[in-house]
Amino acid sequence: MGAYVLRRLAYGVGVVLGVLFLLFVLFFAVTEPEDIARKALGDKAPPEAVAIWLENHGYDRPLWPWQNFQENLLFDHYRKMLTFDFGLSDADDSPIVDRIKAGAGPSLSLTVPLLVLSLLAAIPLSLLVAFFRETYIDRMGVFLCVLAMSVSTLLYIIGGQYIIGKLLRWYPISGFDADPLLLPRFLALPILVGILSGIGGDVRFYRTVFLEESGRDFVRTARAKGASEPRIMTRHVLRNALIPILTRVVLAIPFLFMGSLLLEAFFGIPGLGSMTFDAIQANDFATLRTMVYVGALLFIFGQVATDISYGFVDPRVRVE
Amino acid sequence: MIEKRRGRFVLSRLALVLGLLCSACSNDPYPSASSGEKILYSSFTEAPRTLDPATAYTTVSHSVTGAVYDTLLKYHFLKRPLELMPGLAGALPAVEDLGEGRSRYRFVLREGLLFANDDCFELGEPGARTREVVMGDVAFQLMRLADPKVGSPVLEPFSNIDGFQEFGAALAERRESDEAFAARPVHEQYAEIGGIRGIATPTPYTLEITLHRPYPQIKYWFAMEFSTPVPWEAVAYYDGQDGRPRFDDHPVGAGPFYLAEYDKHARYVLEKNPNWYGVRNPEWRAPAAVFPSPADEDDVASGRAEYAGRSLPLIDRVIVVREKESIPRFNKFLQGYYDASGIIKESFDSVVIEGGLSDEMREMGMRLGKSVSPDVFYIGFNFDDAVLGRDGGDRSRKLRQAMSLALDVPEFLRIFNNGRGVVAQSPLPPGIYGYEPDYANPNRRVDVARAKELMVEAGYPDGVDPDTGEALKLGFDTANTSTAGLNQVRFFTNAWRELGIDVEIRPTNYNQFQEKLRRGDYQIFQFGWVADYPDPENFFFLLWSKMGKSAAGGPNATNFMDDRFDELFVSMKARENGPERIAEIREMLSILERERPWIELFHREDYSLYQGWVKNVKPMGLSIPTYQYRDLDPAERAALRAAWNEPVLWPAYSLVFLAVLVVLPGIRTYLKERQ
Amino acid sequence: MMGVDAYIWSNLMTVLLIAGAVYAARVVRAQRLWREAAGELWRRRRFAIVVVGIYLGIGVADSIAWVGGVPEDAVGVLPNAPLSLIDRLFLDTREASYSAPLASVEFYGGKALRHPGSHLLGTDILGRDVLYMVFKGARVALLIGGLTSLIAIPLALLFGVSAGYFGGRIDDAVFFIISTLAAIPGLLLLIALIMVMGRGTVSVCIALAVTGWVGFCRLSRAETLKLRELDYIQAARALGVSEARIILRHILPNLAHLIVITFVLTFSGLVLSEATLSWLGIGVDGSWGQMIDGARDELSRSPIVWWNIGAAGAALFGLILAVNAVGDAIRDVLDPRTLRGSE
Repeated sequence: MGAYVLRRLAYGVGVVLGVLFLLFVLFFAVTEPEDIARKALGDKAPPEAVAIWLENHGYDRPLWPWQNFQENLLFDHYRKMLTFDFGLSDADDSPIVDRIKAGAGPSLSLTVPLLVLSLLAAIPLSLLVAFFRETYIDRMGVFLCVLAMSVSTLLYIIGGQYIIGKLLRWYPISGFDADPLLLPRFLALPILVGILSGIGGDVRFYRTVFLEESGRDFVRTARAKGASEPRIMTRHVLRNALIPILTRVVLAIPFLFMGSLLLEAFFGIPGLGSMTFDAIQANDFATLRTMVYVGALLFIFGQVATDISYGFVDPRVRVE
Repeated sequence: MIEKRRGRFVLSRLALVLGLLCSACSNDPYPSASSGEKILYSSFTEAPRTLDPATAYTTVSHSVTGAVYDTLLKYHFLKRPLELMPGLAGALPAVEDLGEGRSRYRFVLREGLLFANDDCFELGEPGARTREVVMGDVAFQLMRLADPKVGSPVLEPFSNIDGFQEFGAALAERRESDEAFAARPVHEQYAEIGGIRGIATPTPYTLEITLHRPYPQIKYWFAMEFSTPVPWEAVAYYDGQDGRPRFDDHPVGAGPFYLAEYDKHARYVLEKNPNWYGVRNPEWRAPAAVFPSPADEDDVASGRAEYAGRSLPLIDRVIVVREKESIPRFNKFLQGYYDASGIIKESFDSVVIEGGLSDEMREMGMRLGKSVSPDVFYIGFNFDDAVLGRDGGDRSRKLRQAMSLALDVPEFLRIFNNGRGVVAQSPLPPGIYGYEPDYANPNRRVDVARAKELMVEAGYPDGVDPDTGEALKLGFDTANTSTAGLNQVRFFTNAWRELGIDVEIRPTNYNQFQEKLRRGDYQIFQFGWVADYPDPENFFFLLWSKMGKSAAGGPNATNFMDDRFDELFVSMKARENGPERIAEIREMLSILERERPWIELFHREDYSLYQGWVKNVKPMGLSIPTYQYRDLDPAERAALRAAWNEPVLWPAYSLVFLAVLVVLPGIRTYLKERQ
Repeated sequence: MMGVDAYIWSNLMTVLLIAGAVYAARVVRAQRLWREAAGELWRRRRFAIVVVGIYLGIGVADSIAWVGGVPEDAVGVLPNAPLSLIDRLFLDTREASYSAPLASVEFYGGKALRHPGSHLLGTDILGRDVLYMVFKGARVALLIGGLTSLIAIPLALLFGVSAGYFGGRIDDAVFFIISTLAAIPGLLLLIALIMVMGRGTVSVCIALAVTGWVGFCRLSRAETLKLRELDYIQAARALGVSEARIILRHILPNLAHLIVITFVLTFSGLVLSEATLSWLGIGVDGSWGQMIDGARDELSRSPIVWWNIGAAGAALFGLILAVNAVGDAIRDVLDPRTLRGSE
């Protein structure tokens, strides 16, 4: 078991190093730092200011170790990223770590309820559809799912703001306030839109899972023994389907920290998603590569953790 | 049995969720406690890059620095065209001619002015929360402008001050050679270098500025925050170490407000500064600290006249919230949650009808403010380019003239800007000296027939390039890659297509565009320029050869060079307003008519909407915040907000009803089947 | 619109694609298994297939272009420029600005139109016929889906099959690359790639391919792993059949159904991703995504301009819905494992 855990961890570290190399090629080797400086300082900045900016942001050194082994951007990039020293934003010089700390809260306050409510909405609905399989409810449900999946998220957001925010005046069109009394008011609309845009795919996925489970032998046995259908659905099918559902949820958890790019930018939620959006708009490469790195790190962590816990539960995995 | 239990469970949970949603059901984005005070609500789009008055150069930055920092001179709030008046200085500066083009400006500061309370003053005197403003603070700020490490964007105008550039060079050299020196606080470094030759403070309240070449426009720069008094304590104390913010995130000034709360990506709060001389010493009746007497009929009609003589500021607090997308911002304004707003073009037709407010808006009590902003938007040709530029001689000149004659700017403004904007005939906008309303540029009207003739004369009949036998191919670089922005560029390329010219749009991001500008790898581009101060020099310098992009890295991206134009520019710059200056400006315009380095498009016309409860709004054009003049009626605001925001709930009820209606028959058929 | 070389290339590619499609149809007819699957598919999703066919037809009509044959005085046509079939259909339909569907005057201001009553779906802010823009968008959408798949699928097959078949070091290396790419959040990688490569159809497709090939590579690797253990392939190896031959004759044909299913199911995802990219200002010129992005402002105009976003949204929705429906059916027909549950 120990060997398996070690192997898995080492592999995770290897992937992290690989991701960092890819980021280096994308953000250092292919882009000119002077352009970033010009964008940050404006057209009228004198060359001295650009040079100082490049020095402050660490862009003034050669790229590769064979150019200068002591002082090069590649090693520096690895050292900084691995020690979580993310440095300053290219756009406004604010420390990126501070912004990540400040943005995680708003992001989580959007994504956690979104995930929970999506599950609460999708599972009963898919159970319902699976329960009424081969009836008009099932066919209509699947059709509605494909329909919902075929609409661009942009349309959901624009439509939601227009109808619920402007015409019906239920919730503010956009905005954010950390005050717990005001928070639900701001989050209601983005969460609603988020659920709507994801529910088609979710329901279809869970329906397949439930149908697969309800075709298994023990379900047939239960049915043959005369157990009522609702009881079969909740006791046998739902309980056994929980494993694939949980796997999906567990894999989604690391990404909760990353927020939602589209929802946050449109609804003015100052989370990590809108921070990433700002970074894209401002060509703030330092923030962008940090966010890509943090996202990758969370994903790898989630995967390794799931794999190791599977290893504990299921001895067959260890041998592979 | 089980069905029933399950049904009850679903119902109870549904009720719970509905209950939760309805308790949150209100679209008010503010805590309700704040509705009684005199608070102004406003919004910003982009996070300010910096609040350092030496580098802040955008509207959003100025909206903070302009309220926190005060200046020696101010613009009169009501007079148009803009006029300078004394601010922190007791009077306008006295000018002394020293001969050989040299001159000296003498400013006198009011005595007894205080900075806003701040921790940083502990550095000067233990336990101190503030201290008196002296001219040394202005001199300190001017030295910061010269400091290459600060990276101020306005070195060029200030280098008219004697010894300004030498100071920066000496500083950089000394820092390079002496590490111990470089590690000391900047005010000590400046003192050690010995300051700037042309700046003297003979007493704590007098400042003498010596210019080594004529530049009468320097006075305008003393009405901008670049020359505001800055305490050395603030720069030394706010260094970003040990949990202290950096100076560009923590302004300390002597202005009417101080920055009470600052989260640059989300919101900031300006609070009335009790140390400001208007609040502390209202008995001085200082011109910039009391509401001025009316200057025109509109001031009387709109009620601004009633405020004459009242002490400023009139409001307690300004809360400014980030709003990235324009549509939500405007909708919230319509719901009463912002006090003022520009009119987004999408809503223009419902808000403004034939130049006035629509009935709907008038019923809501809204008011409309219009002003032409001192700016110019233009399309530029790169004169270094072989096809369009100076090497093509008369052929290229005719091509540029033809392209200028093809663009229908009134139609452009009608389609994209609801007809807002003044069609530009020259670089000079209304309100700037030298602008003549009757002036018509012969090459800046719409005349496609003449343009086609010119194309023939230029050797491109029907747009066909004789070298290739196909349409003449040109490139238009644009950094605005949004769909709406690209549509505007397409309007121009479609017009040139009528002449048979194939202009390819090259959307590039900002970096790539800057890189292209540096390499000279571009043909046609679009830019805008907003004046720093109301003087024609601030527009014509964009076409001065000394400002050439390829020659000097300056803002003249056309690389236009014309000896006669340069000669006139230098002479016009140094001249006081008068008939001789007008004659020179006219001749410069006639050169531009012929040469066409620019196709002048339009000057923006700003339409702003104000809620009925907001008083005293008169736009100044330049990005000068005027919060201290603003007033509002909080009670009226609270009442109207409540009336405008009643939620419409019937669709929610009908949705629930519909869902039940759909599911019920299913359950019934199912139960029947089972039995 | 297109350079001279570009339009000849476009024509050539279109002809090649049609030839490919005809060849594929013949292959399908020749094999009983595929023929029956195709028949079953047609029976189940007749309508959706016809809809996809219409989109394809429009795309092809907009990909075939030639020079000349245009009246001299036609408005907005460059001398000697190539025009596609669709361009010719909508020649000289420009207005000055917005017109509502079938209106006879301009939407704002009420100026008379040049072609009153002729715009079935109205015109956009520049006076372009919306139906025309929607037709042009079909080609862009098909190009995004098609070109991306054309880059991604061979790449994924090459890596996936060789990793699965040869195992060992190659498998380790491929698996490492897959894990690395999969670890990076998709949308962010997409944006980073486009920011670095610059805008344009090709770079958007390459970026989509780089982020999109991973899933399919993993699938084909897993499938190959299973296949190589099958008896007949083991037998072929024992008989000394060359590796290349085994892969070409035995492995690839057995992956064919997976290729078809993945292609169809990722296609819709790709087109939807482009809409998001358009909103970020890095989409492809002339796409429906760009129309939707441009039109979102129009929803708050008053009176609102609904036909632009409506037409682009409906066109996008129609294609995705039809493709999803066909894709679902293809999966059911070709890959009965997923059907197990619903029996």
